[in-house]
Amino acid sequence: MNDRAEGARLFLKTIVARAYPRVVAANRQKSWVFFDLAFPLVGTFAMVFVYEGLHAPKQFLGFVVMGGAMLAFWQNVLWSMGAQFSWDRDNGTLELYAISPTTFEGVLLGMAVGAMFTTTIRGAAVLLIGSLLFGVSYSLSGILPAAGIFLLTLAALYCLGMLLASLFLFYSREAWHLSNALQEPVNFLSGLYFPVKALGAYVGGAASLIPLTLGLDAMRQVLLPGTPRFLSPGLETLAVAAQIPLFAFLAYSSLRFMEARARREGKLISKWS
Amino acid sequence: MVVAPAARTWTGFTTAVRLGWAVSSNWTRPALFVIYAVLRPISTALILVVMYNVITGGRGNARTYLSFLIIGTAFWAFVNEGVSEFAVGILEDRGRFKMLKYAYLAPLRFPIFLVGRASSKLTSAAASVLIVLVVATVGLRLPISPLEVNYGLLAIACLLAFIAVMAFSIALSMILLAGRDAYGYGEIMAQVLYLFSGAIFPIAVLPGPLAFLASLSPLAYWLELTRRAILHGRVYEMFPNLSDGEVLLRLALATAGTVALGYLTYLWADRRARRKGYIDMDANF
Repeated sequence: MNDRAEGARLFLKTIVARAYPRVVAANRQKSWVFFDLAFPLVGTFAMVFVYEGLHAPKQFLGFVVMGGAMLAFWQNVLWSMGAQFSWDRDNGTLELYAISPTTFEGVLLGMAVGAMFTTTIRGAAVLLIGSLLFGVSYSLSGILPAAGIFLLTLAALYCLGMLLASLFLFYSREAWHLSNALQEPVNFLSGLYFPVKALGAYVGGAASLIPLTLGLDAMRQVLLPGTPRFLSPGLETLAVAAQIPLFAFLAYSSLRFMEARARREGKLISKWS
Repeated sequence: MVVAPAARTWTGFTTAVRLGWAVSSNWTRPALFVIYAVLRPISTALILVVMYNVITGGRGNARTYLSFLIIGTAFWAFVNEGVSEFAVGILEDRGRFKMLKYAYLAPLRFPIFLVGRASSKLTSAAASVLIVLVVATVGLRLPISPLEVNYGLLAIACLLAFIAVMAFSIALSMILLAGRDAYGYGEIMAQVLYLFSGAIFPIAVLPGPLAFLASLSPLAYWLELTRRAILHGRVYEMFPNLSDGEVLLRLALATAGTVALGYLTYLWADRRARRKGYIDMDANF
């Protein structure tokens, strides 16, 4: 077998091997299953009650429930992708990745694939529970386009997660705080609980760099008729699709740069300080 | 050298406060820490402001509700820091820094150490509360004037609430020591309290049984009093039929209940932690 074929085989094996614990172990650990469901659900309930306190039309409850389901993905990207190499360094796994005959890209892709699968199940549970509890209904004709937009959004979001993982490689205690700090501002900028149009052209335009913003808005437009339009769903989908190669390239470049720097400065093995 | 018990307690308390402050803040530069500390409450406030604007269109007659949202969000930082961050801090002391057992062995009553750690969290939350209120007052033109605040009422309400929050979070953190992977439970509890506190919506919006449960929590009365102390009748009230004194009485009773329940829970959890070796148990960090 030539080197190229052997490299591809190793790359694929790495993806499967790293995805496996994400799918299997994440469901074995019951407390994680509970958190993954409880965090977005409790947040969703709170925002639903805010709208009820404001006597908002029922349609807005649908915005919140969909936002709550997508929140599960952003939390996953932050904590299980962005901060993951930091945890791995602390428990000694990162140095094993570095000396194994595979690449960090394979490890990251495996993490992303496994996390997408697991979080999709949890996000669907949040959507189902929220929709049933608050009587939210969706346009049937929008389900198929929404599924397509959802897959594109996930791909872009997890490419962003890979970029964050490489950036966080240098952090130790800060990784936890950075993930924590990025949580709420992104909830705001991505319009998790309100239509993105309400942010205005400039803030909404800048927030569009987060794949969640346009992806969620496009899904709302096709599933919840009457959603205030920021951009047309087609244009939003196109923009999200363009973010996939963009973030993938940035993640690759950043990972190469950060890995070289981390090797030089001994950061691949130094634990928290 | 013989140190008087009171002096030793004070030294232990202040050391715990300093330790809590150092662990919370020395991972970065002070300026970045301030930005970090206000990023979350400011973002939450912005989410609520946009939601409010989307529904009300910023109508003048709904502005009392905007004040309700902003003050609730600002003061929520105390509960978030006091419950969620505190619980994570104690679990970190055990699992990551491996020093909880030394604090437990020190010639100082363990609850004093815990109160000190919680005090540092509440102190750092105070800066965030102030900044959110100032930013909201200027940015949203809320009718808040520092000269018109009823500081006496605000101070008494906050003091009682802090006692309740500390009693709750100390008992909670002792219970959480039983878990190897329990660092997220503090945040979950804070989020659940968020639902029951009237921080961002009146508790009357909750379904009947949940609204009753919320009416037993000191947090709802505390937030009501902070709003009244700051805006005197120019803010949406959750208990319009109750006078300030009646709300204060309910806060005092609910606090006393929380402290009594928290103390009993602490004693039980402490005995169990010693018996089962939770104080120095290896945990997932």
